[in-house]
Amino acid sequence: MAVYDIELRHLVKEFGGAERGKRGYQVRAVDDVNLQIEQGEFFALLGPSGCGKTTTLRMIAGFEHPTSGEILISGRPVQNIPAFHRPVNTVFQDYALFPHMTVFQNVLFGLRMEGTPRTVAAQRVEEALDMVKLGHLAQRKPSQLSGGQQQRVALARALVKRPAVLLLDEPLGALDLKLRKEMQLELKTMQQRVGITFIFVTHDQEEAMTMANRIAVMHNGKVLQMGTARQIYEHPGTRFVADFIGETNFIEGDLVARQAGAGTVKLPDATLIEAQLPPDWSADSGTVTLAVRPERMGIVPEGEEADMPKMPLSVLTGMLVEMNYIGTDTRYTVRLFDRLDIAVREQNVDYEENYDFRVGQTVKIFFPLASASILHRD
Amino acid sequence: MAPSSQSLNQSAGRAIEINTGRLQRDLLIRRIGKIGLYFNPVFSFFFLWAPIAVLVVFSFNESRSVATFTGITLDWYVNIFTGVLGAESAFSTELLLDSLSNSLIIGFITTLISTVIGTMVAMSLVRSDYPGKRLLDGVLYLPVVIPEITQGISLAVFFNMLFDYWNMLTGQRLYPGLHTVVIGHVAFTISFVAVVVRARLADMNPRLEEAARDLGANEWRTFREVTFPLLLPAIIAGGLLAFTLSLDDFLVTFFTAGSGTNTLPVFVYGLLKLTVTPEINAISTIMVVASTVLIGISLSLQGRNATRG
Repeated sequence: MAVYDIELRHLVKEFGGAERGKRGYQVRAVDDVNLQIEQGEFFALLGPSGCGKTTTLRMIAGFEHPTSGEILISGRPVQNIPAFHRPVNTVFQDYALFPHMTVFQNVLFGLRMEGTPRTVAAQRVEEALDMVKLGHLAQRKPSQLSGGQQQRVALARALVKRPAVLLLDEPLGALDLKLRKEMQLELKTMQQRVGITFIFVTHDQEEAMTMANRIAVMHNGKVLQMGTARQIYEHPGTRFVADFIGETNFIEGDLVARQAGAGTVKLPDATLIEAQLPPDWSADSGTVTLAVRPERMGIVPEGEEADMPKMPLSVLTGMLVEMNYIGTDTRYTVRLFDRLDIAVREQNVDYEENYDFRVGQTVKIFFPLASASILHRD
Repeated sequence: MAPSSQSLNQSAGRAIEINTGRLQRDLLIRRIGKIGLYFNPVFSFFFLWAPIAVLVVFSFNESRSVATFTGITLDWYVNIFTGVLGAESAFSTELLLDSLSNSLIIGFITTLISTVIGTMVAMSLVRSDYPGKRLLDGVLYLPVVIPEITQGISLAVFFNMLFDYWNMLTGQRLYPGLHTVVIGHVAFTISFVAVVVRARLADMNPRLEEAARDLGANEWRTFREVTFPLLLPAIIAGGLLAFTLSLDDFLVTFFTAGSGTNTLPVFVYGLLKLTVTPEINAISTIMVVASTVLIGISLSLQGRNATRG
């Protein structure tokens, strides 16, 4: 069997209840999580606040003890090994730099605890600080640094220990947007350079997609879907994932026929639509939810259908209820069946040549088979 | 349509009207409020400090009478240290220094013990969970709020009972003295230390201790390298508070000292029983200044930002 850098087996964490000796009050923060993370991966745990992603990370770090299940680091179970003996290090959300120590002393701390000889340790600290380009600030106190600099110190302090795995808890959450974008790329470059497995926790789907090789989407303590950014965006398995990653339109309908990998769905206005089925789909009929991304749809005024691309398309008729120009795109809201509002986004490649849409007019929206997927129930 | 949204609709595009009369009235109320806020601290501080100011001023008064101020002198301060006092009193510098040294000894030992215990109590209240913790948390404030006379009497009764049992068991007779005073002082200063240290501890980012463990420090090294240095200002502040409280205490000392053990406040009280002399004013002034300095240091240490160390 392959040995993974990190493997989680049926990991469960419950808070309250038994811990406090009170009955009835119990929260399952992490619910049967299974993960295998390979050496050198940049892995993201993505989900809204309270989904259990941080608790999962804290269990790997050793700050929380799992209620049940196993954590393996390089194939070795570690749930009974305290944090200070685990070959993982953490970059905290608020950095948690020691305020009474200089930058140098902060980075040195971990090596001092290991008993690394002073001269060797000092050299490694200098290397680590040079790597994050902070060599010149070694004698400053953390309070004299900017947020971005503190973030780098936290990174150097963790990496200087040469851990098997680096854990990052919302590492960029406290930075402003511009700096965050910079640090995203910098972190990714650094990860490729040191080759250490990174596991990071974020609620920002764009951040996860920018940095990670693989993403696990978590909700209510469970991993809903795992895969590359492309797999998750293009083939969301459930309604929650489709909604959480990017913007999605949901259309309810009845599954009336099923072919290999695709199904025919009958919409409330009797239109038939072809859509992709998940690989593990089993039902032959019943109510289903379709997901279509706004940017995968096109829009034309009624009567201009000849302008639609010449390929197999699903076409729906609706009324244009809102139109917003937002720079790169124009966003149209189209009301279907007199009740369901659908978002359509078209890039403003040449806005002047677009149709002269008016709110209230009847429009056609269209999309190819590959753009519509049928979702599992959550 | 609901009436409220109707009126909202009507307000759109309407000309702005200002009720000048009401505006004038509201501005006047604001002015009065501002003046009131300005004088409020003046009155409060007058009540707080006027008696002490009188004491300090009359400690420099040339005349023995408290009724008139005739001129400035340092005689009374000199008298304290040369043993000359009102003819009828049993004052001696030797007794004064004796009681002062008692006060200091009691203060130091009390501070040492209550700082250690108070810090431990604070740690256990913030960093661990056990049944009855909330109760202990509430009881912690008791010594701060219950009347000191009750504390004094209860300690006196307690020691009396303890010594009686000891006598019954061993036939030995124990007597109160410095040690009982220290125990009494420790009993009520622990709370103050614990409250101060706990505030800082609760303010401290728990991630700092996690970071230390994450970097390979076991619990003891985490405490020594991270928790303790960051708590130190609060521990010193709590210690200074304990020292000041112990030094100034009269009631608990009075009930636990037994006969023959004087501290400075008890000694001053003894002098006062005879007559109020300017020398007492002078001693009191010195005590006020010393306490103020200690409390000032304590407050400035507590005020330091908990995350900056």
